[in-house]
Amino acid sequence: MTRALILLYMLALVPAAAAGDDFLYCTTCHGADGNGNRAIRAPKIAGMEPWYVEAQLAAFRAGWRGTDPADAPGHEMRPVAAVLANDATVARAAAYVAAFAPGAAPVTVAGDAAHGATLYEACAACHGADGRGNETFAAPALAGQNDWYLVTQLHNYRDGRRGTHADDVHGATMRPLVATLVDEAAIVDVVAYINSLH
Amino acid sequence: MSDSSSPDTPTWSRRRLLMAVGAAGGSGAMYRLGTTLGLIPGFASAARPTLAPARGRRTVVILGAGISGLVAAYELGRAGYHCTVLEASHRAGGRNLTLRHGDKVDELGNPQTCPFDDDPDLYLNAGPARIPSTHERLLDYCREFDVALTPFVNDNHNAWVQDDAMFGGRPVRNREYVTDARGFMSELLAKGLAAHKIDAPLDAADTERLMGFLRAYGDLDEHHIYRGSSRAGYLNAGMVEPPLHKGVLDFSELLKSSFWQSNMHFAEGVDQAPMMMEPVGGMDKVVDAFMAKVGSRVHIGAQVRSVMVRDRDVEVVYRERGKDQQMWADYCLNCIPMHLLAGIPNNFPADYSGAFTAVARGKLLKLGLQARERFWEREQIYGGISWTAQDITQIWYPSHGIHRRKGVLLAAYIYGGPSSDRFADLPAAQRLELAIRQGEKVHPEYRRYIESGVSVAWHRMNHMLGCAAEWNEELYKQWFARLQAPVGNHYLMGDQVSLHPGWQEGAIHSALHAISDIDRRERAAQPGRLA
Repeated sequence: MTRALILLYMLALVPAAAAGDDFLYCTTCHGADGNGNRAIRAPKIAGMEPWYVEAQLAAFRAGWRGTDPADAPGHEMRPVAAVLANDATVARAAAYVAAFAPGAAPVTVAGDAAHGATLYEACAACHGADGRGNETFAAPALAGQNDWYLVTQLHNYRDGRRGTHADDVHGATMRPLVATLVDEAAIVDVVAYINSLH
Repeated sequence: MSDSSSPDTPTWSRRRLLMAVGAAGGSGAMYRLGTTLGLIPGFASAARPTLAPARGRRTVVILGAGISGLVAAYELGRAGYHCTVLEASHRAGGRNLTLRHGDKVDELGNPQTCPFDDDPDLYLNAGPARIPSTHERLLDYCREFDVALTPFVNDNHNAWVQDDAMFGGRPVRNREYVTDARGFMSELLAKGLAAHKIDAPLDAADTERLMGFLRAYGDLDEHHIYRGSSRAGYLNAGMVEPPLHKGVLDFSELLKSSFWQSNMHFAEGVDQAPMMMEPVGGMDKVVDAFMAKVGSRVHIGAQVRSVMVRDRDVEVVYRERGKDQQMWADYCLNCIPMHLLAGIPNNFPADYSGAFTAVARGKLLKLGLQARERFWEREQIYGGISWTAQDITQIWYPSHGIHRRKGVLLAAYIYGGPSSDRFADLPAAQRLELAIRQGEKVHPEYRRYIESGVSVAWHRMNHMLGCAAEWNEELYKQWFARLQAPVGNHYLMGDQVSLHPGWQEGAIHSALHAISDIDRRERAAQPGRLA
């Protein structure tokens, strides 16, 4: 009798538990706790705002991201976003990501943070002086993100791998601002400053 | 015997000839690499260790049920260690993956179901697919477990060589290319020797033997001229009527092809030369055999979430059936690919975990096509490989199921680089179409025989995200010895911690290396009883 009850209990639990792991595959690339994996160039998604996760999944699904031949990691992400069944699935994926507890991102970029602070003034208007982002401007948090990923995305905007699609209105606003970072040192410096924001 | 030429004489002295040959040899370079690392094990392959019986209840957690993990579980289990194997995916075997009718291909963003007919000969070995005679440890386990082996044809002189850079893309038989290339080179060398005969310090007998060697090697005529060879094959059967010889191919065309750069000599490699073998019915018969021994110890669908090395044991958190579980074991044998481990919380020292991001993941891709007829056998091709300079790189013809109606071709095997990404970036159906289109340059009638197909881009596979670790000499120097050594009671394993990444034999040796070290430590802990 007890055994039968335990069995019933387990049967009741398993489907619910399994549904909770529908998006466990995100952790294969983005790390077991969503804190990113530099080895495969998958950024930290722990702490990413659900609205931003949804927007980026939509961008990958629409081909605004992950289509440029030079964007290899984007190419790996795009089919994963594309197989999500519909908007409701995208929302569930974003909710799954929201449950990750963000950890401290390892510092891998060294630059002149003081110089970066000056450059960051152009970023602060949308992303906030504290780098925590602002949904009104569709500007995600930058503080706490993997620094190597920020560098990659600044390169992507600069080189037209991101923010060039006609429908990508918010991405388009990023490109002229990224253009103010005139060289690699400027990119590294601004990211070094973002590293100092907590 | 003359060996008296001064060092600055431009002619070839006997000793200089021999030295030049030695200096050009690739094996010398390999030996340097091995000795730098202190890893040359001597001629005899290391024997399987005899482990001392476990002292009391000694626990081992093994992360990953690939070949190295299964070997460790089997050997340690036999010695009385209490092993638990945690496998993240839906199956055991790691990259030892045989795809048959209905099998799931768990590629992120490109899930597939293997569409081959339900038939014992219709499968794709999507990971390892051939066993060299020199891979003694793997063969030893096959012998012990009665895994039936059958010859695997890796090199076939009747298969095709295709390159858009030569003959306008028209394929030629492998035997034509190789025979004519050798004939031309031998003739060229013979002419050079003849021209230098008067000055050459080789004596007459040496020269005569060398000319004889060239005649035999290149199938030259008595005047040391290459006029074609029956080695290239005939245009007719030549059984009851005079054989019709093929003409000699234009050597300048042969040179334009990239074939001579490596693929022409592919089967000379120690791991690629005859005689090779495959398990009857698919490479995963090896996995089945290990699972028959240790399957009760293997948790399928158990994904590791953290690995923490502690003073006397290792703590592992894993997720199984929707719940996080915590366990502690005296030893942890970790077979998780390094590039995935980089994303799993751990407390490894930086001089160890730094390798996880330093060593690139391999991006190998295999694609199989089911053919409704074994049309290649009517082209006198039984097993072996056709080579093409296109992205698909090669077409393998099955060595098994000869003269049955259908067969599965390995229709693309891409070792990585941009070719691999060009395929991997496509949805599954478009990959098949591209493979068919490229295959048509080798077999013009290809398309009408193809029924279905499946692809495995290892760097997109869930729980894998990569194939053989891309070591090079610099990376080996910097990281390998440290990775091979334990961190506390934690050992990294798998083909990634071997000088043979991408081979099951490398995985086995890495496991034997780790468990031998555990055995050494266990014996040292109780010298009185176990020494």
